[in-house]
Amino acid sequence: MSLTPYDWNQSVLTRMEYIEERLRDGSPVVGLSLPEGVLLLSLRRTQRKVYEIYDRLIFGGIGNQSDIETMRNAAIDFAHQEGFQRSPDDVTAQRLVGSVLSPALKKAFGDPFTAPFVFRGLFAELGDRQEQDAFFALNFDGEFKNENRFSVVGPSLDAENRMIELLHTNWEGAQDRQSAIRLGLETWATGKIHARRVSFGRTEEDEEVEIQTVAQVLKEELAQGTVEVGLLERNTPRESKFRLLRPEELDSALAEYR
Amino acid sequence: MARPGDFLELVGGIPSELGRVGDAPVSHSAAASSLDTHGTTVIAVKYRDGVLNVGDRRATANMAVMYDRAEKVLALDDFTLIAISGSFARAIEIVRFLKHAFKYYSRRELQEMSLDGKVSEVSRAIAGNLPMAMQGIGAFIPIVSAYDPKTNEGRIFFYDGMGARFETAEFGAAGSGSERIRGAFDYIIRTKKPFREMTLEEALQECLILLDIAADLDAATGGFAKVLPVAKAITKDGIREIPAEQMRAIVAAFKPSE
Repeated sequence: MSLTPYDWNQSVLTRMEYIEERLRDGSPVVGLSLPEGVLLLSLRRTQRKVYEIYDRLIFGGIGNQSDIETMRNAAIDFAHQEGFQRSPDDVTAQRLVGSVLSPALKKAFGDPFTAPFVFRGLFAELGDRQEQDAFFALNFDGEFKNENRFSVVGPSLDAENRMIELLHTNWEGAQDRQSAIRLGLETWATGKIHARRVSFGRTEEDEEVEIQTVAQVLKEELAQGTVEVGLLERNTPRESKFRLLRPEELDSALAEYR
Repeated sequence: MARPGDFLELVGGIPSELGRVGDAPVSHSAAASSLDTHGTTVIAVKYRDGVLNVGDRRATANMAVMYDRAEKVLALDDFTLIAISGSFARAIEIVRFLKHAFKYYSRRELQEMSLDGKVSEVSRAIAGNLPMAMQGIGAFIPIVSAYDPKTNEGRIFFYDGMGARFETAEFGAAGSGSERIRGAFDYIIRTKKPFREMTLEEALQECLILLDIAADLDAATGGFAKVLPVAKAITKDGIREIPAEQMRAIVAAFKPSE
């Protein structure tokens, strides 16, 4: 059986729809650069969301758990091999995403005979100085965007745009940890609200849409899930720069949404 | 069968600059051993709150002092120290390997490698180095110190050239100078008090004096006259480097007799 260009086009569209549909319920991941380090924030019901990849690299993803694991393990393998055989300084998000993960995703997405990855991932790299921090948001088709101050992966590209808008206006005023967590949560909720609206087949202008506020969504979600914040600390005497914030470190930021 | 989280498998062995393991043996010659820089005396003692490691700074090749600022007490992770003696080239390479192996395991498997797993990994690395050591170059012997979160105490492991590991109750020492001072440890324990009852300050003082005695009796060991030794302590809070001022104060009070 041979494939015509039409078949190929059709298969790509079908795959895209299938993936978008399955990403729609996902929990977004928000990345923020702060003077004290880089931070990835998400809400989870069960499994972990924010992972350490290497000394200065962390990752959070949205999608099928097994696909997230595959990407996470590929990233960890590359980083450690490269860091040992060359130097930890040569392990960068640019190389990891640009030359390792993105081509592999593109290949799987374009090949009609393999299962595509249901996946969006956000990779954050800690710089020596804040302006050297880097975020790479990688899409299931291999496309990626890089940013220095903040970035997100969300349930849909529209939702992501809404989230980015919010960060654009507020990032500068949220440079301490507590306000960054609050901004992260509000950004997270914005993405969630927008994805829900679209998944009901309605648009923003639709009168019937019950407008849920950020506060409502967060109250609901905090009752059922846990906030997960992973931090790569710029100035720490510890061997590992990465740590997940403890619940008591989040309490004061979460208090107003509970 | 694949072993998940096994870094040795990922990189396909520890690379050796001196030929493949199993190559034809080279006879021990002055030429070969003069290429091989050696690190000497390192000491580990259990004190009240954990483990203290002290190492001199001298690295020698045959009769030449190659370097007088060698770092021989290195952190493998936040709760494990390795103190190295013997071939510097191999030791540093294997320390880099072990650091990656421990982190690779914990990042991939999402749990810390057990202390037992870590000390066995060190055995494996020494055993893998044996063919080179048999050729007369590249032998090295480490002491591994760790804080055991299960038993809430410091632990010290030492090794022989084949990778056998032994746990010590009070102290461990390795390197050419260590043989000269071995009896002195027991003398201190019997006449003063066991190291594990000492404060950090007391243990540090004993270790610095022991190191200086080793330097008096072993040409390959540097004392504290020229460059201060390196001292690091592990407690339940992690690894702490002892500041130079703290050592300088002790050293000043215990200058060798005229």
